[in-house]
Amino acid sequence: MERDAFIARLAAARPGPPLPDVSSLPAVHTELRPGDELYARFVHELTAVNGTCELRPAAAVSAAVVAALGDARRVALGADLGDHQAPVEGALAAAGIAAIAYEEAVADRAVLGALEATVTGCALAVAATGSIVISAAAGRAAALIAPLHVCVVPAEHLVGGLAEALRILPPGSLTAFQSGPSRTADIEKVLILGMHGPGATHVIVAT
Amino acid sequence: MSGDHLTGTTFEGRAAEQLAKPFQRKAIPAAVDGTVAHSRALFATGDRERLRELGRDIRAHAVANLPEYVAAFTDAAEANGTRVHFAGDATEANAIVAGICRDAGAQLIVKSKSMLTEEIELNPALEAAGFEVVETDLGEYVVQIANDRPSHIIGPIIHKTRGEVRELFSAIAGRDLGDDPRALTAFAREQLRDVFLRADVGITGGNFAVAESGSVVLVTNEGNARLATSLPRVHIALVGVERLLPRTADLSVLIPLLVASGTGQQLTTYLSIASGPRREGEPDGPDEMHVVLVDGGRSAILGTGYQDILNCIRCGACQNVCPVYRQVGGHAYGWVYGGPIGAVLTPLFKPSAEGLEVAHASSLCAACDDVCPVKIPLHDLLVDLRRDRVGRRIPGRFERLAYGAWSRAWSSPLLYRLSGRVGIASLRLLARGGVVRRGLGPLRRWTRDRDLLLPGRRRR
Repeated sequence: MERDAFIARLAAARPGPPLPDVSSLPAVHTELRPGDELYARFVHELTAVNGTCELRPAAAVSAAVVAALGDARRVALGADLGDHQAPVEGALAAAGIAAIAYEEAVADRAVLGALEATVTGCALAVAATGSIVISAAAGRAAALIAPLHVCVVPAEHLVGGLAEALRILPPGSLTAFQSGPSRTADIEKVLILGMHGPGATHVIVAT
Repeated sequence: MSGDHLTGTTFEGRAAEQLAKPFQRKAIPAAVDGTVAHSRALFATGDRERLRELGRDIRAHAVANLPEYVAAFTDAAEANGTRVHFAGDATEANAIVAGICRDAGAQLIVKSKSMLTEEIELNPALEAAGFEVVETDLGEYVVQIANDRPSHIIGPIIHKTRGEVRELFSAIAGRDLGDDPRALTAFAREQLRDVFLRADVGITGGNFAVAESGSVVLVTNEGNARLATSLPRVHIALVGVERLLPRTADLSVLIPLLVASGTGQQLTTYLSIASGPRREGEPDGPDEMHVVLVDGGRSAILGTGYQDILNCIRCGACQNVCPVYRQVGGHAYGWVYGGPIGAVLTPLFKPSAEGLEVAHASSLCAACDDVCPVKIPLHDLLVDLRRDRVGRRIPGRFERLAYGAWSRAWSSPLLYRLSGRVGIASLRLLARGGVVRRGLGPLRRWTRDRDLLLPGRRRR
């Protein structure tokens, strides 16, 4: 149908209420509660959805990334690690892990499909939901193509709740909230991690 | 599966067929009770009533002002580089999608879960047009292989045992996979990962479309919608036209309502906000993004007494608590939607005699009203639909005469008292030892499963 004809059919509606103000919300589980401390709430929520998390000073981040990768050798690295980019690349090389750039991996479906782990940064992290927020600028599939995802979160990227995150969404053609590993319970309600995305999500918060 | 399951069937017949499946009657409560409990616990930590009121007002406002928000969404989406298409009905929607796939030179299409595409029967249409379509939500993948239909909005295969999944998957694998859900899931992941890497087009639904940003919002736990919007060259999102939200900030109300009601989670594992094709400097993403806004019978509901049903955000909470749904399951409702939402939508979208009958598949207990995250008065709508059915003279002559007589009798004090006396006297004739065990006429069905006690004598 033409746009105008399609829209014209929608004009018969009964009037509705005015659009409510949502600049301050009633108490809701996706926001901070009084007394919540940002990092503690983030760890609590992320752990509750089977993710793992550690707090590291900036200088120790690259060693933590190497440790989190374990035996993974086919590793792709996002370009969104900011200050940690060069140290992480250096530490991976020193550990004998020949990581490739995610941009290169995604250009070759065979390479992409064989990845064992990806390492990315993130634009935001949401304490009340245990989520990391990744912009398409870092790669849409970067956080979910491999069985293991390691994410470096600068502490200053941590925000309280969903409402604040939505107010400061990063630019990009896709914004991706991710809360723990991929999961399904479709077969008789048995919880299984790693359906399409990673089976393990490890977050390193850099102070 | 295509074909109209309503034609020539009755709710009673379909329900009897479902009730004969012993697994299903245990499986539904087992599958949904955890969600109901988690949902209740999450909402207990906040101001649930106030949140639901906000959700209702945002949805009711958007639905009442769709011309404005469709125009704003379209302008914003086009500014993002998305192409917006307008489909009046199912046939047109399917033709638009097939056209996009043809223009893209596509062969293989991956799909993530979408109830709208069940409504319009997109898969058979695309297959008829020569495309290979693969569902990637684990439950929907099983439904597709089994040539079945989803029986719950959130859990498509809650009616299936692990043994049935084992048989289906083992046939594809050419070896026995065992019945550990872990192994079965791993098998599906492997099959589907290969499909994702090769697919030309990714088709998703849209939980919401945001007018101010031109974005489509998707929630999943498996990550399949995210992959479908990442790897294929073309992303097509089909969105019911009523699913518009004015502002991004509205998600801070509707996402917690949808997710807590649907799955009992704090937030789904994946929440994606898709705002156009891959941009300069981004490493992956589709070259084209298309949004197909689908009317499909929705505009006809606007302005009627049923407009509130368009506020629905398809969370499935009303199904989980419905005493009828919990017994008979989704397939008994005969179309895409089961439970209270199906009992309202089916008569509106399929207004045949068989479709209208589905409004009676409810005890009117209003448990659905209590859990609806956007406060849709489902049981009021069910009563209205029943009235419409009578208005259209669909019930048989005897039923209309009987209820007409009842209505007239109980409108007069004298006839009311008289009918009471006649009724009690007749029951006494049927009773043995103060209990009616085998009634006659309309009473027979009541007493088939229950005894009817005689009313006590009035003390004077």
